[in-house]
Amino acid sequence: MGRNYFTILTVLSIPPTDRRLLVLLDDLSLKSSHSIFFNSLKSRGFDLDFKLADDPKLALQRYGQYLYDGLIIFSPSIERFGGVVDLAAVLDFVDSGHDLIIAADSSSSDLIKSLATECGVDFDEDPSALVIDHKSYAVAETEGDHTLIAADDFIESDVLLGKKKIEAPVLFQGIAHSLNAANTLVLKVLSASPLAYSANPNSKLSSPPSLTGSSISLVSVVQARNNARIMITGSLDMFSNRFLRSSVQKAGSPRKYDKSGNEQFVTELSKWVFHVRGHLKAVNLRHNKAGETDEPAMYRIKDDLVFSVEIYEWSGKSWEPYVANDVQVQLYMMSPYVLKTLSNDKKGLYHASFKVPDVYGVFQFKVEYHRLGYTSLSLSKQIPVRPFRHNEYERFITAAFPYYGASFTMMAGFFLFSFVYLYHK
Amino acid sequence: MARSLEGFLVLIVAALVYSSAVASVFQPISDSHRSVALELFTPLEGSFSSLAETYEALRTFEVLGIDKKTDINTAACQSVLETLGSSSSALKDLFYALKVNGILKCEIKKDVFEGVTSSLQATVSSAGALLDFYYSVGGLVIIKDQTSKDDLYLADAEGVFGSIKALSQSDGRWRYNSNNPESSTFAAGLALQALADVVSLSSSEIDQSLIGATKNDILKLFDSIEKYDDGTFYFDEKLVDTHEHQGPLSTTSSVVRGLTAFAAVTSGSLNLPSGKILGLARFLLGIGIPGDAKDLFNQVDSLASLESNLVAIPLILSLPATVLSLTKKDSVKVKVNTVLGSNAPPLTVKLVGVFRSGSKDTSLVEGQELKFNPESAVYALDALPKSVDVGKYTFVFEMVLHDPDHLNLYATGGQTQIPIFVTGLVKVDSAEIAVLDSDLGSTETKKIDLSGENTVSLSANHLQKLRLSFQLSTSLGHAFKPHQAILKLTHESKVEHSFVVGSSGKHFLGLVEKFFYLSGKYNVQLTVGDAVMENSFLKAIGHLDLDLPEPPEKAAQPPPQLLDQKLRYGPKAEITHIFRVPEKLPPKELSHAFLGLTLLPLLGFLIGLLHLGVNLKNFPSSSVPAMFAVLFHLGIAAVLLLYALFWLKWDLFTTLKALGFLGAFLMFVGHRILSHLASISSKLKSA
Repeated sequence: MGRNYFTILTVLSIPPTDRRLLVLLDDLSLKSSHSIFFNSLKSRGFDLDFKLADDPKLALQRYGQYLYDGLIIFSPSIERFGGVVDLAAVLDFVDSGHDLIIAADSSSSDLIKSLATECGVDFDEDPSALVIDHKSYAVAETEGDHTLIAADDFIESDVLLGKKKIEAPVLFQGIAHSLNAANTLVLKVLSASPLAYSANPNSKLSSPPSLTGSSISLVSVVQARNNARIMITGSLDMFSNRFLRSSVQKAGSPRKYDKSGNEQFVTELSKWVFHVRGHLKAVNLRHNKAGETDEPAMYRIKDDLVFSVEIYEWSGKSWEPYVANDVQVQLYMMSPYVLKTLSNDKKGLYHASFKVPDVYGVFQFKVEYHRLGYTSLSLSKQIPVRPFRHNEYERFITAAFPYYGASFTMMAGFFLFSFVYLYHK
Repeated sequence: MARSLEGFLVLIVAALVYSSAVASVFQPISDSHRSVALELFTPLEGSFSSLAETYEALRTFEVLGIDKKTDINTAACQSVLETLGSSSSALKDLFYALKVNGILKCEIKKDVFEGVTSSLQATVSSAGALLDFYYSVGGLVIIKDQTSKDDLYLADAEGVFGSIKALSQSDGRWRYNSNNPESSTFAAGLALQALADVVSLSSSEIDQSLIGATKNDILKLFDSIEKYDDGTFYFDEKLVDTHEHQGPLSTTSSVVRGLTAFAAVTSGSLNLPSGKILGLARFLLGIGIPGDAKDLFNQVDSLASLESNLVAIPLILSLPATVLSLTKKDSVKVKVNTVLGSNAPPLTVKLVGVFRSGSKDTSLVEGQELKFNPESAVYALDALPKSVDVGKYTFVFEMVLHDPDHLNLYATGGQTQIPIFVTGLVKVDSAEIAVLDSDLGSTETKKIDLSGENTVSLSANHLQKLRLSFQLSTSLGHAFKPHQAILKLTHESKVEHSFVVGSSGKHFLGLVEKFFYLSGKYNVQLTVGDAVMENSFLKAIGHLDLDLPEPPEKAAQPPPQLLDQKLRYGPKAEITHIFRVPEKLPPKELSHAFLGLTLLPLLGFLIGLLHLGVNLKNFPSSSVPAMFAVLFHLGIAAVLLLYALFWLKWDLFTTLKALGFLGAFLMFVGHRILSHLASISSKLKSA
């Protein structure tokens, strides 16, 4: 008897939230100028380790073990990291499932830009270019060049930005980036307005700006296939106390907010990046014939079966039932034969029942769940399907009765004929 | 003035880079500092973690004028009493306890002070390290102030002065102790403070040569001052990993404190350039509002010592608004304050010049004096100069002190340059869009209204060009050239092309490659915007049908476009398996009818037999052959029955097994009966 085997990539019993974060700085004064953001991380239970980015003792791992769960790079101008850390080390860190926040600004080095490129976003190559927006700038008495953007074009996603709507615009001052169209994992979280462009505000525009309009991304996130999460922004000031405390009024709008949306925005997004939110796990993938409870080793074509799986969401403290109406199961052999949306009981149990197709072979139950902001679930379980046995076909087909009748009358005739032939005189 | 801007153009114009030497605007300490101070210095359960922290909190509150003493009083005084009363307290704790007491004025018995005084004096005489001097001498000065004991003097003030001075280095920096060769700028600040304290504790005049040498050290220390482009000065440690790293802020504030303390107790000028003092003040203010308690204390405390120092009191010229709107008729307002935000001495603010950004040749206005409004303490220019149109300007201000005695007291920093944006509405007129043939005039010109909606529809091929023209003029009637004037063509496939509007037209022919040979409908959008334009706009103009030639073989493919990020996720369409359709069968009735028909031949056979008059006379009459005959026919019947059973329920194997036995049996009985019948018929024939 063939033994089923299945793989569940996302079975995690330990809490998925990060604990230890390494913060790389250009200048230790950033600790003080961005203290609200750092303190909010500390108060949420993260251990922050501040290091200068060129610290000669810098290391991400020791004896093959990573020392940190997440990395915050607030050192836009760094040309070369200190110690044994380099671009490849940071990428390895992410490749092993760790999280990353990169903040750039107009002083960004090639190192930071190439790191961003590896993550799927391209910063404007012009080193003097800033995001300029002559329509949705933040009204400020002392900022006249419209590089202080009041951005409010957020992605619509509760899992990324929290359930509470961000009312006040987010202040942004920095450089533009665009998403790499070939990368399907990167998402624009905060986009610029259609009037925005990326250029040097102090020099005349001679050639069309390389980035214009809503294709400019101000803040982007990536969720890698291994569920490592990355946040990239072109404004380090976005996290600063000055912007977090500042009041904001978008040009042309009569409403003035006492506080910018920055604090809510960076807090909520950091929750997502460090896996406080949007982390799913799937357990107890089961299937059986309708009316039975045991999992069979094999199905016959046209059997009725019931499939079920439990999905839970990490709430930051505990695993809560995940409720959604778009989880789907596939019965798959080279291509899906059946693709069905699972119904759920609001307690985390998802189930569906359907008929096995009339094609035999080795099938898989597959749950491929990729939703904006959530970790992806990728489950599969192999199951063979056999055809009818010879005695499982229909035995008495009405349409064949004339043939049977003919045979049996012939046999009866033969029986009679044997008497006549042998004993007639 | 009329300026026609043409589309489809990629022209390279030498970029005009403005010089960035214009100073930033620095604002003095304000209320936001006060609210942040309250946030940062929050005692845990009524007390701070250390006396040093308590002192920092109290000092910050004192400078900012926040009355929070009562909240902290009890716990802090308790801690001060414990520290001063204990004989085993560390020197540093004693020092901070005295400092806290200096602000809180706790009730402390005289004999406690006596004890502390004598222990501090003992420390001074035996001290060798800079910090020991700093804490002990500093402590004694505070006791002297608090107890108004005029007879508290250092026994050998000159000797102590000399031993502190002995730790100084030739570059004006200090060592922490004589064993440690590393010198530090931060230590220099502490040393100057300690020296100032020694001077104030000295019963007689300190030798002027020692004072002079120290002044020299200060001048040397100022040679190592560092500078930013915007005119700010600061001190930083040269060696980063000295025993405790001090950032530029704490280093600068240490030097500022030491310098002002030393200047306060010595007579005679230090001959320091007032610009550098102003630069230091600007550095401290330029930090903004620190988010760290220690940084805030350093900033506020050192600004407080600059506020009333004897070297030069910095005056900060600031503008509440540097963006002035012509439509709102904003006026130029200037404030002059000390670093902590109090009012400046009587002075006049002059607008010396107004320059267009980028051109520094001629001033647009003659020197003008700003009117002072004593109530709001604001200097204002009633209206912007007539010649000032929308644009970016640099306003140059100058402060002139009324009292000539003040010239040495205050640092005004000469002329202050402030970048000003003058904004206004820009009029858009006679906008036209046209497709031109290569040689002659336009084939079709369409007027467009850039203030309303437009749905112009044009078509063109690669031999034609497109011209878009419009006039922009300011309210003063000058032509206006915006920073952002971009024409954007978006193909149905979302491929975009941007063109800077502003130079001669270009044929589609030269652009076909850039367009990736994509014919079809393009949406046309115009964006006009500038930092000083209050009515920046993005307008859809309409669409353009482009007829471009077929792409040659090796033409570049258009770049991939981003998928809509919402479409990337979301459930897929459901798939249900389509089962094979069962074969089409005739209706039951038909099958039954044919079943009936198949019975007919048997019936005919029976009738035929009856007609022929069938008899069974040949049946063996003797008993043994008769038995074999019966068995033979039973056997045949059993085989036929076997077939029926095979049809009804049995499988082939059971049937064949049974058939094997039956076959053998039939062979046997069949052979007997058939041979019997054969012998009878041969007998008959022979007979």
